[in-house]
Order: sequence, then structure tokens, then C-alpha cells
Amino acid sequence: MTNTPPAEAAAPMIRFCDVNKKYGSYHALVDINAEVARGEVVVVCGPSGSGKSTLIRTVNRLEEIASGTLLFDGRNVHAKMRGSELNHLRSRIGFVFQSFNLFPHLSALNNVMLSPIKVSGVNREVARDKAMALLDRVGLVDKAGSYPAQLSGGQQQRVAIARALAMEPPAMLFDEPTSALDPEMVGEVLAVMRGLARDGMTMMCVTHEMGFAREVADRVWFMDAGHILETAKPNDFFNAPQHPRAKRFLSDLRH
Amino acid sequence: MLSDIILIVRDNWLLLLIGQYPNGPLGGFAATLILSVLSIVLAFPLSVLIALARLSGSPFLFWPSTALVYIARGVPLLMLILWVYFMVPLLIGANVPGFVTMLVTLVLYEGAFLSEVVRAGIVALGRGQMEAARALGNSYMGAMIYVILPQALYNMMPSILSQFVSTIKETTLGYVINVPELTFAANQINNQLLTKPFQVFAILAIIYYAVCWSLTKAAVMLEQRIARKRAGQPGTALPVDLTPQALTAEP
Repeated sequence: MTNTPPAEAAAPMIRFCDVNKKYGSYHALVDINAEVARGEVVVVCGPSGSGKSTLIRTVNRLEEIASGTLLFDGRNVHAKMRGSELNHLRSRIGFVFQSFNLFPHLSALNNVMLSPIKVSGVNREVARDKAMALLDRVGLVDKAGSYPAQLSGGQQQRVAIARALAMEPPAMLFDEPTSALDPEMVGEVLAVMRGLARDGMTMMCVTHEMGFAREVADRVWFMDAGHILETAKPNDFFNAPQHPRAKRFLSDLRH
Repeated sequence: MLSDIILIVRDNWLLLLIGQYPNGPLGGFAATLILSVLSIVLAFPLSVLIALARLSGSPFLFWPSTALVYIARGVPLLMLILWVYFMVPLLIGANVPGFVTMLVTLVLYEGAFLSEVVRAGIVALGRGQMEAARALGNSYMGAMIYVILPQALYNMMPSILSQFVSTIKETTLGYVINVPELTFAANQINNQLLTKPFQVFAILAIIYYAVCWSLTKAAVMLEQRIARKRAGQPGTALPVDLTPQALTAEP
């Protein structure tokens, strides 16, 4: 672990410097240079296979990178470090999966409580109170005792968000959080995310919900073939995209 | 026929129950039960460790555990028992009681078999559960203990149970190295009576069936209790036939 001093408030929350990622001969991420500022909401969009999910998964090191540097809150995520250091770093990065990945053998409440108790060593009563507060925040306090299979997709994803928030991360990553949902359940999940953004959470979100991007994002990153081709304010991106590939992507979306 | 059986049991119940004890080693049904329980209690945690070793990236854990699994799979249990029985005393220069030989062999053999069941259960979960646990900051072992194993072991309960039942039945092989367990006692009785082998071995069959059936029943009840707790959860209802017949069938 490099001994980076705690970043001052102005430093970005997430910073990619010349990040490259390869799967064999396939170049999944090419020279990524980008920053997510504190409190900023970034929406990553682009055609499928463009590297969006790979990009977001490198931030908490679910994917390794081939070269470059990735700083989270001033700490080098991909530096050589002890397992316990990586665990601690990951506990500070909330991650929400497309497929929810709730623990099916645990109730909603225990899904949220598990990691604060086992990872952070929080006292059980304290963890329970906080978990109930978080379930209340995502509107599911009455489902605390339900098991994942008894919940709808939208409810499961909201529990998953509460579970990630239970570790009190300074930033949240969302990997296509609504792509596995029935259309009528997308709204409830986006509403929770909108609330998080309003409360000043730093968010990086891979999504195809362009309405959400337009409304909530501070910036949009457009990716194709492993490159970030364009970063722009949502208004500029949707009304006047610069890159020809982005223009084509947006016009395909409209049809 | 039935009266013969009752008479044999009446005359020999103590031998069937505890063997020659206290004039000789504890034997009969008591020895079978102790051997079975110890084998299962030791083989089960061993199987989880072997499965974790096989799944770990470390070659120092992978190769020895894989070798054990392949040997257990490729060699008949009876041959393994005879090997341990004749070779281990030569190697360590001391006599090993038949009971200990049998216990160690069964634990290694069943542990290896069971480990493949456990491993299959872990692999079948897919990587999403492990990723979710790790993303929250759990260590690999923490994720295994609190997230992966509770699901994997529950899902594999029918196979694990069937391996437990196999273990009970395999204690009969102790007979060939003179472990005085239930089969050994029954054979002693048969040697005295000479003319009633069918009746004697019918008693043996009934006792083994009752033990294996009870274990199966207990496991089914445990499983239903867990299923009730997670009521309404599709995908965890076991599609496998849980009748004693299906579970006591030889693998």
C-alpha cells in the first residue's frame, strides 16, 4: 500500500489515470483518464460491450487492471496491498449489482446487518437500528423480515442499496441497477437513487435510463470500445453530442 | 421364521448390542453407532476443508487435496482398508487397533467423496454471491462462512445425507479387519447357530435399515424446518426425491 496522505476535500473521489484493462488480446479499457468529483453524480452510458461495467468494476477491484493508476479517495486501489487493506477499502465503496445479489438465506434485515457486524464489528443492536433506518429510507421497513425470494425485483434492489449504504460508504457505484427489472419497478429504484443524489452522495452509475441521466447526472461519460469518447453535462450531451459515435448512439436510442 | 428371529434376538441381544463388552472390546450395535457418528462428525468438516483447498488458488493446498480425492475415487474402499490395516503398522512400527484403522480410513475416504459434493454446491452458486460479499468488505473466508457455505450446504443436503448414509453402511467393512461391530457380532451368532443364516442376517438388515431410515427422516425434518423458515422461496424447494429408498441407494 502506498502511503498516500488523506486527500483534501478538493481532490476527486475517484480518479482514473491511464487505466488499461485486457482480457487476453481483447483491450477492454483503453487509456482511461477521468475523474469523479466529491458529491458528483456521473452516469456512464454507451452501447453494450463498450466497457462500462468493466470500468465500474475496476473501481472496487472486482476486476484487475493491466496498467495505470486508479485512486479512490486518494488511495491507490490497484496497488499491492494486504487482503485486509483491500477489504477495508472495498467496505468504503458501495456497489449495487444488476442482478441484486442479495443473500437468499438471510432476511432483508439480516442482509443489511451482516456486513456492519462481521466486517466493521458494529454491535448487533446498533446494527439493527441502523439497518431498520436504512430500510425505512428505501421504503421497505415493513419488509424487514422478508426473504429475498418473497420480494419483487424492485424491492430486492432497494434492499441491496440499503445493504451497500449500511457500510456508510462515501461513494456508491451502480452497475445497471435497473436493467434486470420489470418496467413498472424501475421507478421505485430510480427514486431511491435520486434521493441519494439529492443528499450529496458521490455516485457513478452505469445505466440505460437516459431520463435519469438527464435529470440527476452532473456529467455523462459516453463509452465505446473501451474508450471514454465524450464527457459532458447531460444537457449538452443529449442536445448536442460532439462525437459521431455518440450522435449515432443517441439517434439509435430515439428509434 | 419370525419366531426364529425373535428367539435369536432374545438369546443374543447383548452381543448384538455391545459385543463382548465388558469382557472384551465394545462391539455390536454400540460400536457401529460410535464408528458411524465419529466418521460422519470428522469427515464432514474435513470435506469442507478439502473442498475449500480444491477451490483455493494455492497449489500447495490444491495438489494434495486433489490427489486425495482422486485416490479415494479410484480405489475401492475395501482395498484402502486393507492397505491401511497392513501398511500403517509397518510404517509406524506399532500396532493400530482395528477400530482406529477403520475410523481413519472411513474419514479420509468419505471426506474426499463428500468434498466433491460440497465443492459442487459452492461452484453452483455462481460468482455473484461471492462478489456481493467481497464488495461489502468481507474477507474471502468471511464470505465463505456467512454467505457461501450456508447456501451451498443447504442446497446439497440430499447428496450430503446420502453420503452420510453410505458411511454408516460402510462401517460393515470393518468386519474384514476384525473390528467387532454389528456385522461382526451377527456373524459370530451365525457361526454358533450354523443353520439359520437367513434369520440372522435379516436381523442385521432390519437394524441397518432402521438406523439409515432414522437419519434420513431427521434430515428431511431439518430441511423442512429451514424451508418453512424461508417460506415462499422458490428455487430452494428440493426437486430431489427424499424418500429413504432414494437416499440409501448406493452412489
